[in-house]
Parts: sequence; C-alpha cells; structure tokens
Amino acid sequence: MSKRNDITTPEGYFGDLQKRLSEIPARPVRVSPVHRLAPYAAIAASFLVAVMLGNAILRHTAPAPAEDDTWTYVSYLADALDPDGAVMMDPYDYGEEAGEEGLSAEDIVNYLLADGITVEHLNYLSYEEGY
Amino acid sequence: MDNAERLFNEIVKEYSERVYWHVRRFVNSHEDADDLVQEIFLKIWTALPSFRGEAQLFTWVYRIATNETLNWLRREKVRSALRFTSIDAEMERRIDSDPFFDGDAADRALSKAVAKLPEKQRQVFILRYYDEMPYEQMSEVLDTSVGALKASYHIAQEKVRSALGKDIFTGSD
Repeated sequence: MSKRNDITTPEGYFGDLQKRLSEIPARPVRVSPVHRLAPYAAIAASFLVAVMLGNAILRHTAPAPAEDDTWTYVSYLADALDPDGAVMMDPYDYGEEAGEEGLSAEDIVNYLLADGITVEHLNYLSYEEGY
Repeated sequence: MDNAERLFNEIVKEYSERVYWHVRRFVNSHEDADDLVQEIFLKIWTALPSFRGEAQLFTWVYRIATNETLNWLRREKVRSALRFTSIDAEMERRIDSDPFFDGDAADRALSKAVAKLPEKQRQVFILRYYDEMPYEQMSEVLDTSVGALKASYHIAQEKVRSALGKDIFTGSD
C-alpha cells in the first residue's frame, strides 16, 4: 500500500497552481462587509457591556431606598385614629380602592382634621412616635 | 517586485505542492483541495507582514494550512448537518466518487478509516503517516508536546488498524 500514489491530480496541475498562486499579490484586496463593520460592532458591543456592567454595579452597591416617611406617618395615623378601619383597611392599598384619582397624604390629613382631630393632637402623636 | 512579493513567490514555489497534498488528505477531493490551497496562500500573503521570522517559515506555513483546513472541516460539518447527512458519510462519498483516486481497495479503506478519526488524531496521523513529519516539527506546528503527539498517533494507529482489520504500520512508530 503506497502512501501518496493512491491520489493523483490532473496533468500539469502543480505548474498551473503555482502560476495562479503567484498572481495573488497582484489581486486587489477585497474587504468584506463583515470586516468593514466589525469595528463599529465592537464599539457598540463595548458600550452595551459598559451599560450592563454599570447597571449591575449600581444595583449591588446602591443603598436600599428609604421608607416613605409620609406613608409611614399616614399609616400610623390611620391605625391610631381609625382602629375600626372606617377610613381605610390598609393605607397602602387604599389607592386602588379610592378610584383613579387616588388620595394624597395631604387629603388624609385634611380628612382627619375635618373629622375633628386637632392639629395639636396630630403633632402630639407624631412627636410621641418620633415621626 | 518588492521583498514581500519575492518571499511569497518563494513560499509558493517551495510549499504549494506539500500544502496541496496535506490539504487533499483532509478534504478528500481535488476541487476542494484546490480551492482551499488558494485560500491558504491568500491568508499567507495577507499575514506575511506579521511573519517575524521567530518561527521557521515551514512551521509558519504549515500552521496556517492546518488551521485553515480545520476551519474548512468545521464549515463542512455544518454544511453536512444542514443536508441531514453526517460528515463521515460525506467523506466516504467523496472518497468513492473522487476521479483522481488511483489506489486499490485497501487504500480506499485506509482513506475512509482516516476520515473517521477525530479531528486532532486525524491531524496527527496525516502529518506523521502521509507527510512523514518528525514529531519535533509537528510539535511546533500543532503547539502540542511531543509526548502528547506520540500518544495521539498511537491511538489513531490503533483505530485505523481496527477499522482495516490488519496491521499496516509494521516498523513505524
């Protein structure tokens, strides 16, 4: 069994091959669209990576958002002054139940004041609880 | 003619035939080998400015040829998968239908057995058995230790021996 004679080439092939190969330097250099766009794609990819990385870092290092003091205060007032839930069952849910307009903290304070709670009482309660 | 062109022409003169035979063993078709050799020499021409002379010219040329051939094989694998055939079946078909295959049934069986070897073992087998390249040179081309190459060649030999049902390697390492 021979190592190379089992495959052949057309007559005069290598002469022709050498001639064709030696013409390569004279060929105009063609740049494919993929190669032309590669630098821009790389910049876009780097930007995307930077944004994602920044987002991930911020998510892990930023302090937890502070509790909404207004809502804590309102919740406290609702519990303290309206234990039966006549005004609302859950101060955080009331927005849904109150319809599309919703109620602001100011509305609730106004309601409580209109309901006979004095400003002094409100201030006293907020002072007592450290709000 | 500048220096780069002169060097390129020397490479063509010196290595085109060797590169062709090397590639032909992988692709099992004259037409594909011809296309691939042109791609390889185009690559050599474009990479010539980066050739620093640290590696031997021969090693550098063979490394490019081997890498380009492997890339071709990977592309061929995908093409075969898209045609719902295996690369092994495609290689067998090529060997059977190659009009420039001039060997006997045993040569054909050997070519088929080599085509079925895993990529790395096939590389080592072709470089060692057909190209008769010393292990030290193979080590530079494939960037693999001599020991690992010897082990790969031994395993490849065993697989070919088992596929052929006879020993064709008597006296070889």
